[in-house]
Amino acid sequence: MLCRVADSLFWMSRYIERAENTVRLVDVTLQTILESEHGSEEISYTHWKPILTALGDIELFESQHPEKSSRAVNNFLTFSQQNPSSVFNCIAFARENARMIRDQISSEMWETINRMYLFLKNTDAEKVCSELTFEFFQEIKEFSLLFQGITEATFPHQIGYEFIICGRQIERADKTCRILDSKRHMRSINEEENDALDTAQWAALLRGCSAFEAYHRIYVSQITGDHVRNLLVLSRNFPRSVLFCVNKLQLAMHAISKCPITYFSNEAERKMGMLISRLNYSNENDLRDNRADQLIEDIEDALAEIAVELSNRYMFMEIVDPVAELDLVES
Amino acid sequence: MEIKYDSGEFFDEAFDADGKPRPHYQHLIDRLSEMSLEEFHQKRESVDLAFLQQGITFTVYGEESSTERVFPFDLMPRIIPKREWDHLSAGLEQRITALNLFLNDIYHDQKIVKDKVFPEEILKTGKHFRKEIVGVKVPKDIYIHICGTDLIRDDKGDYLVLEDNGRCPSGVSYMLENRQSMKRAFPRLFPRSGVRSVLDYPDQLLAALKNIAPSGVDNPTVAVLTPGVYNSAYFEHCFLARQMGVEIVEGRDLVVENDDRVYMKTTEGLKRVDVLYRRIDDDFIDPEVFRKDSMLGVSGLVRAYVKGNIGLANALGTGIADDKVTYCFVPDMIKYYLGEDPILPNVETWLPYRKDDMKYVMENMEKLVVKAANEAGGYGMLIGPHATQAEVDEFRVLVKNNPRDFIAQTPISLSRHPTYCDGGFDGRHIDLRPYIVCGETTKIIPGGLTRVALRKGSLVVNSSQGGGSKDTWVTNYDD
Repeated sequence: MLCRVADSLFWMSRYIERAENTVRLVDVTLQTILESEHGSEEISYTHWKPILTALGDIELFESQHPEKSSRAVNNFLTFSQQNPSSVFNCIAFARENARMIRDQISSEMWETINRMYLFLKNTDAEKVCSELTFEFFQEIKEFSLLFQGITEATFPHQIGYEFIICGRQIERADKTCRILDSKRHMRSINEEENDALDTAQWAALLRGCSAFEAYHRIYVSQITGDHVRNLLVLSRNFPRSVLFCVNKLQLAMHAISKCPITYFSNEAERKMGMLISRLNYSNENDLRDNRADQLIEDIEDALAEIAVELSNRYMFMEIVDPVAELDLVES
Repeated sequence: MEIKYDSGEFFDEAFDADGKPRPHYQHLIDRLSEMSLEEFHQKRESVDLAFLQQGITFTVYGEESSTERVFPFDLMPRIIPKREWDHLSAGLEQRITALNLFLNDIYHDQKIVKDKVFPEEILKTGKHFRKEIVGVKVPKDIYIHICGTDLIRDDKGDYLVLEDNGRCPSGVSYMLENRQSMKRAFPRLFPRSGVRSVLDYPDQLLAALKNIAPSGVDNPTVAVLTPGVYNSAYFEHCFLARQMGVEIVEGRDLVVENDDRVYMKTTEGLKRVDVLYRRIDDDFIDPEVFRKDSMLGVSGLVRAYVKGNIGLANALGTGIADDKVTYCFVPDMIKYYLGEDPILPNVETWLPYRKDDMKYVMENMEKLVVKAANEAGGYGMLIGPHATQAEVDEFRVLVKNNPRDFIAQTPISLSRHPTYCDGGFDGRHIDLRPYIVCGETTKIIPGGLTRVALRKGSLVVNSSQGGGSKDTWVTNYDD
């Protein structure tokens, strides 16, 4: 497979996953705001701050929007063309990548992305942001899931498919981490101890990860931070938990290199193996308070490094001229 | 739904001078008359939507970046009866044969120049004559493998050749998609006696490409070389690659190694490429040899080509055949190389670099169409009868100062065809671009792209200037 094609498959998939996760965050935050005190747009904005901080977008937002309103954040994350990771831009980039390789993907995949793009382009942003049309968010989530299903059912499960899995799982694991991060930032702005609010926030996070029902099936108890972290980081069977995602990612990476899973053939695989070991041998103590924050931050860093190494190895293969290389060493 | 209008002084494809349907259109017009306008309109919208959703679009230059447009498709097909097609087909084959002999000659012995049939100064001043490949043997001596000749019909209904397009003719994907759309939208319109199929074009193309693989390569790796996703014809490049089942590559995917062979960069390492169907012009194809600032090409490609390590379709240097001054000499080439009379005539043309012609052109510019010799897509053109005095004066100066760079032609009243516009049928001017593939044998694909000038009265059919297209049916019988 051409390096460029691998790159496009990876990013096409990653951008779609990113769009879905951003929508999940927006959706869940809007719902949380409705259930809490939200007299003014200013107060509503405080609910957004942790999200923007976790996504790393707060500076960009505040530089573009002096008026800090809930509606402006909603628009920034969903439709803004000035925010490179807005849902609109993610879908547009996913489509651009798909367009570059439309001869490689199935026409069903292409048409699904293209339809979604046209849908977003023709959506009345003003209306969605002011009237909070939740159907719109539902539509985007369903599109992402539809795309995954169509890929599964119409695209050969060969090396290209594995790159699609890589893009999706890296993004999903990273976003689960960031959703957990956002709770940390909420902690710092919760003015006083308020257990009801705390629980409501954890519940919102679970909903954002489609994990609310799964949680209650596993922990027949009140929602606690420790349990939520356990589920979202270490579960081996919940599809949005970090460990679940990185396990899938590792399988895909080794399917590409055909290297046995107990060995490694490149830096990406080595870092991957180390991350998985760490998660495999973590326990509840590693997920308490400060240690949890550290672990989550480390996971985010490791994922970023793995993405870079994957790209170095497969997507931007530098052509090495052995003769010149030798000259360089000798001089 | 009624299809009727005044043909005026034009030749109408579907109606004779008395307004009666021509025999080969009778069935189609009967069927369309049975249909309601609403039904037709619905079909039309669903075809448009399908094109948009499939992303069968082209990009318009000079507008904001997101301008992707559907190439307007008119649902009333153009029909060419067998006897007309046989005539066209023979004429096209004769012409492409002469052009390939010409190119082989001028890049080797230049006999045609020595025999004073083709002027040496035209060759020397030809912008697209490539000195770099003089003396280079190309596989099977074929230069133009894929040709898209533009044909028009005058007010008497005679077919004329307008230009040859021997570089990177585009539009063939529309020919194929249009046929598919027609079959889905109007299965009952197709005549019982059938319409000749165009759908094996990708197979013909692939065979012609494999035909020029470097010697000794049994199972050649073929790829389509595209300038990339921002090119207006990117959809077509992808479409053809997918239909042929070959890789589509950009310049940055390829590398020429020290062994002067071409490789593509894959996740498993370098893989050799044997034949490129290149959709990048000569100027941009290799920054080592042609334009240094090209980001689209592949450094060293010409080196590999000269060594015979890579097949290129079309060959380098075919642009000299697209020079509109060269065009004027094609009838002479046919006589010179084949000893035959041309079956398809050219449009009457004057060459201002000749003194007598210059005088005529200067005196009659208001009545002529003046074209730049090396522009395409309807740019750099003056349509005298429709131009303002200022435009005419501007061209007069241009032609006077650069006689070699212009030609002048009699304006042709292009034939018209019933076309659905503004809620009803009316006559619109059309042309025809059939596709020719030169492999082991020469194949004229029975059909082609009929382009239609959708604006009332307009003679410009280019997609960049408000043109649309029609499916083109070549029938198995005369009526």
